[in-house]
Amino acid sequence: MATLNEKKTCSERMENFRRFVWNPETKLFMGRTLINWVWISLYYLAFYVVMTGLFALSIYSLMRTVNPYEPDYQDQLKSPGVTLRPDVYGDRGLQIYYNTSENKTWERLVTTLQTFLTAYTPAAQHLNVNCTGDKYFIQDTFDGPNNTKLSCKFTSDMLQNCSGIADPTFGFPEGKPCFIIKMNRIIKFYPGNGTAPRVDCTYVGDESRPLEVDYYPVNGTFNLHYFPYYGKKAQPTYSNPLVAVKFLNITRNVELKIVCKIIGAGITFDNVHDPYEGKVEFKLKIEN
Amino acid sequence: MKKEMDVDDHKLELPDLEAKYSTSITKGLVGAVAAERLLRDGPNELRPPRGTPECVKFGRQLAGGLQCLMWVAAAICLIAYGVQEGQGDRGSADNLYLAIALIAVVVVTGCFGYYQEFKSTNIIASFKNLVPQQATVIREGDKLQINANELVVGDLVEIKGGDRVPADIRIISAQGCKVDNSSLTGESEPQTRSPECTHDSPLETRNIAFFSTMCLEGTATGLVINTGDRTIIGRIASLASGVENEKTPIAIEIEHFVDIIAGLAIFFGATFFVVAMVIGYPFLRAMVFFMAIVVAYVPEGLLATVTVCLSLTAKRLARKNCVVKNLEAVETLGSTSTICSDKTGTLTQNRMTVAHLWFDNQIHTADTTEDQSGQSFDQSSETWTLLSRVVTLCNRAQFKSGQENVPVAKREVIGDASETALLKFAEVTVGTVSEARGRFPKVAELPFNSTNKFQLSVHTAGDRQLLVLKGAPERVLERCSTVMIKGQELPLDAQWREAFEGAYADLGGRGERVLGFCARWLPAGTVAAGTDPEALPEVAVGLCFAGLVAMIDPPRATVPRAVLKCRTAGIRVIMVTGDHPITAKAIAKGVGIISEGSETPEDVAARLRVPLEQVDPRQARARVVTGAELAGMEPGVLEGILRAHPEMVFARTSPQQKLVIVESCQRLGAIVAVTGDGVNDSPALKRADIGVAMGIAGSDAAKNAADMILLDDNFASIVTGVEQGRLIFDNLKKSIAYTLTKNIPELTPYLIYITASVPLPLGCITILFIELCTDIFPSVSLAYERAESDIMHLKPRNPRRDRLVNEPLAAYSYFQIGAIQSFAGFTDYFVAMAQEGWWPLLCLGLRPRWEDTHEQELQDSYGQQWTFEQRRYQQYTCYTVFFISIEMCQIADVLIRKTRRLSLLQQGLFRNHILVIAIVFQVSIGCFLCYCPGMPNIFNFMPIRWAPPPQVPVVVRAHALRPPHPHLRRDPQAGRAAAPRELVGS
Repeated sequence: MATLNEKKTCSERMENFRRFVWNPETKLFMGRTLINWVWISLYYLAFYVVMTGLFALSIYSLMRTVNPYEPDYQDQLKSPGVTLRPDVYGDRGLQIYYNTSENKTWERLVTTLQTFLTAYTPAAQHLNVNCTGDKYFIQDTFDGPNNTKLSCKFTSDMLQNCSGIADPTFGFPEGKPCFIIKMNRIIKFYPGNGTAPRVDCTYVGDESRPLEVDYYPVNGTFNLHYFPYYGKKAQPTYSNPLVAVKFLNITRNVELKIVCKIIGAGITFDNVHDPYEGKVEFKLKIEN
Repeated sequence: MKKEMDVDDHKLELPDLEAKYSTSITKGLVGAVAAERLLRDGPNELRPPRGTPECVKFGRQLAGGLQCLMWVAAAICLIAYGVQEGQGDRGSADNLYLAIALIAVVVVTGCFGYYQEFKSTNIIASFKNLVPQQATVIREGDKLQINANELVVGDLVEIKGGDRVPADIRIISAQGCKVDNSSLTGESEPQTRSPECTHDSPLETRNIAFFSTMCLEGTATGLVINTGDRTIIGRIASLASGVENEKTPIAIEIEHFVDIIAGLAIFFGATFFVVAMVIGYPFLRAMVFFMAIVVAYVPEGLLATVTVCLSLTAKRLARKNCVVKNLEAVETLGSTSTICSDKTGTLTQNRMTVAHLWFDNQIHTADTTEDQSGQSFDQSSETWTLLSRVVTLCNRAQFKSGQENVPVAKREVIGDASETALLKFAEVTVGTVSEARGRFPKVAELPFNSTNKFQLSVHTAGDRQLLVLKGAPERVLERCSTVMIKGQELPLDAQWREAFEGAYADLGGRGERVLGFCARWLPAGTVAAGTDPEALPEVAVGLCFAGLVAMIDPPRATVPRAVLKCRTAGIRVIMVTGDHPITAKAIAKGVGIISEGSETPEDVAARLRVPLEQVDPRQARARVVTGAELAGMEPGVLEGILRAHPEMVFARTSPQQKLVIVESCQRLGAIVAVTGDGVNDSPALKRADIGVAMGIAGSDAAKNAADMILLDDNFASIVTGVEQGRLIFDNLKKSIAYTLTKNIPELTPYLIYITASVPLPLGCITILFIELCTDIFPSVSLAYERAESDIMHLKPRNPRRDRLVNEPLAAYSYFQIGAIQSFAGFTDYFVAMAQEGWWPLLCLGLRPRWEDTHEQELQDSYGQQWTFEQRRYQQYTCYTVFFISIEMCQIADVLIRKTRRLSLLQQGLFRNHILVIAIVFQVSIGCFLCYCPGMPNIFNFMPIRWAPPPQVPVVVRAHALRPPHPHLRRDPQAGRAAAPRELVGS
């Protein structure tokens, strides 16, 4: 092996490398003649064109066969996620701290709510219909305009004291803040099995300790006529129903852990791996 | 280091010697002086070569080419982990896991390799002789038995037949002493030892007996002149330990391969670093990408695959009695292009055997096979009756008792080598010797001595006496007046003498030792019992010549076939021996090292009747070079000779010269295997790319120096080794190609993740599962693939050209098959995403929002809203889908990797059962990972649906689609003439 292991100096190595890149005697560029390189490049070009073509064809046929109204599977969407407004994140999860005497600390939160509720003004909802029945709004046909399905109206005034109409500060300065709970939409999800699901807020870990809460609409329910959701294409104007919660007796200057669960058949809130499934937890601290 | 031994004690007169060692040649040393010298010189034993400490051996297992690559990768991972941790990046624990996995792989395979070597070292160690040797020493005039390791310089020792010489000894007096120097010089004939200095060279002179050689017969008294490591044997042994170990060819190949990988990794990493910077990632983030890409290029599973493949072959070899000390040596034999073989004990049986007989003016061939399976000669002549009787009676050797059930060839005999040969020959051809001897009781005898050069004995035969005599043919003939031909006693005439001379020269020219036999009937009472043996030669005149018997140390039966196989496999077999050129040449011709019809320059000169100098070396295929010629050669001449003559025999070579020969072959670019058994072979064994020692006959020094040991001493096992070595090289190529392929589909998800910002399609843990779990079995099972063609008819690979991994193989694996797998994986990925609601176009650029832990209502293409955790499980589903598609492609891949030259149908789809089992196993593990409860949160595998995959990889043998490769090599090993292709159909 002696011949193979000769110690080469750096300059010899460089020289060898230069010779490899372009060998003037044999006219080899990187070990091949130029025409060879052309052929190889052409081969690879053709190869990749064919491969990309096949790939494009696969994606094209996928999009042609995919159902535009509802997904084939909803493996990860067994139970809806729940979100909170205003949503301010701290180190670990939602964390809403403010000082009643410092306007700046809560104005931001109020603005979040106001911005959020702009989607629920009567003007924003004018394409949706008024629904009155307390049953699932099942539509097997496309009755809406442009071959769509109808969606029920949800306007912010249904949130009464927390609508921001009577009290644009949502009770923040008084230390009785409003929070809005929203349930994620899932296509053809029937929550509650006939009974309207409702929001229930408690202290975390200490459920017996009373937490005085006002729920809007009454009882904190999501009316059944907002369900099921038929998807973006069928219900382009659909808006999620909301529940507002107003905390009435928040102890000042203490960090409180509060969880709002949605109670209803088909909605689970005990998935240890997903803290936002069927419930929303947040920390609240009001200083003055 | 390569200078010859400088000992001059053999030239000194005894008084000088006494003075030099301040001892007495009659009384020996004084006990106190001896004790003092023992303290000064140390015990008289060979210091075992400084064994490598176990921790260094283990460390070596962790420091190979691939291992270094993985250490570097692990370090990079840890750095990347540190950087990400510093940035407070979530999910950065992946890099930590990766680093741990990389280190674990190196350590576990290191332990495995270490264990393998440890086991074979134990096998070898079990062969060592641990019985302490005794020596008879005279101190202060008293004869003592002491352990041989207590001997000191100046001690007076006695040796007798059957003893091992306890140190280097200057002979002071001897009676018929003969030693076997074969382990030192390779001479198979017993050497006479006597007090006279007969040669300038200490190795040639008769008055020195060497440490650890065997005293066969007679007795001798001598003065210890060297002990322990200062003995000739000790110096040779230390010569071996001074020779450095070369890197094995496979280690060189793996380094070359690591170079390719590292080059590609850095190229890719740098490219995407630039891309990431251009896209607008922050520098640190781009740096992490760079590191991740470099690490992704490391084939984690390869190290395990290579180690397991090599140890599988090592096991297979061990079953065929080849024990490999170093795993990498398994392949070396396959790359071997030259075998330098010792003669005695390796090619030959290392026992004198009757090969030819000459009687009735005819040469008869005796059976020299080890198991007496050969043809016998015509035994009907009456001359044979006489000859056989002489052979039986004129012989002092006898079988040790209690061996009636042992085959004759294997029985132990008391007596010298030629007498033993004759005894066994007689026992086999005539029948029980002891019975014949009983019928003809011995009356008187004269043992062999170097002055008479014959041995005679007189036996009672009924009412007559029979005088039998054997000895050097010319001395025997002097005492004959008649000759027996076909039972007729005829007077000697000139014509017959000519025939005799011819036969004698013929047999001598075959390298055989020739003895003449004659007899005479005497009247009863001619010789009385107890007659002075010195008076016997007077009676022994006018004898009747019976015949000649020629003996040789015959080749092992399996050797000629093995040599032929080596030749057809393109391997050059060179004989390197310490024995005489004539014997060496004869054996070389016998085993085919010098093929039939090949001539040496001397033969050509004799044929053309021209002086040797005028012979064109090109006319002579073969050449015999002696050590003396070698010593006078200019540097470089030897290479010229090796190049000019394909068939070489080196005779009378010293251990140093063996080393020089091996080095010359290596300078010519050959990968050299050396086989040998003697101490004199050990330096060459060590220097060789692979040293092969004999397990039974081999000396400890040889076994220590060797890389491989043939437990059955069978040269033919080397052929098995070559075959297995070549097969493993071929199969390793397949395994590596298979293992490399999936590197690309593991890397592209990350590249696309960086550049197109899609949710990550394939996770780090999933990659580790592919590399270290599911794909290990198929890649190892490729080691069980049978040879595609008769690999023993191909030339050995050219170490410069036929690399284990060459650029075409890497390009084919990476840029063709790997690309196909990537496309397949991405198709599946997009399908899996679309089926759950994430259409391909939405995926592009989705990454920042997808990975936002605060985003709990990300909308998919259908308007559904997803929490972060729901998206995470969807990402795991993608991992699993990508995993499954790589696995499916890899199943197709393992099938196309089965063959490199043949069609898959020729090779047989299911003939490799292990591979079928491996695929089943791979699928089962895949299913287990996907469907075992709890997997999503442990290893990020999600249960996925049994749906016909939209991508069906089809194995198509498409000759038409093969790449237009202008570099199709003549050597089919690297050719891709029938490269199979995998097509992706939708």
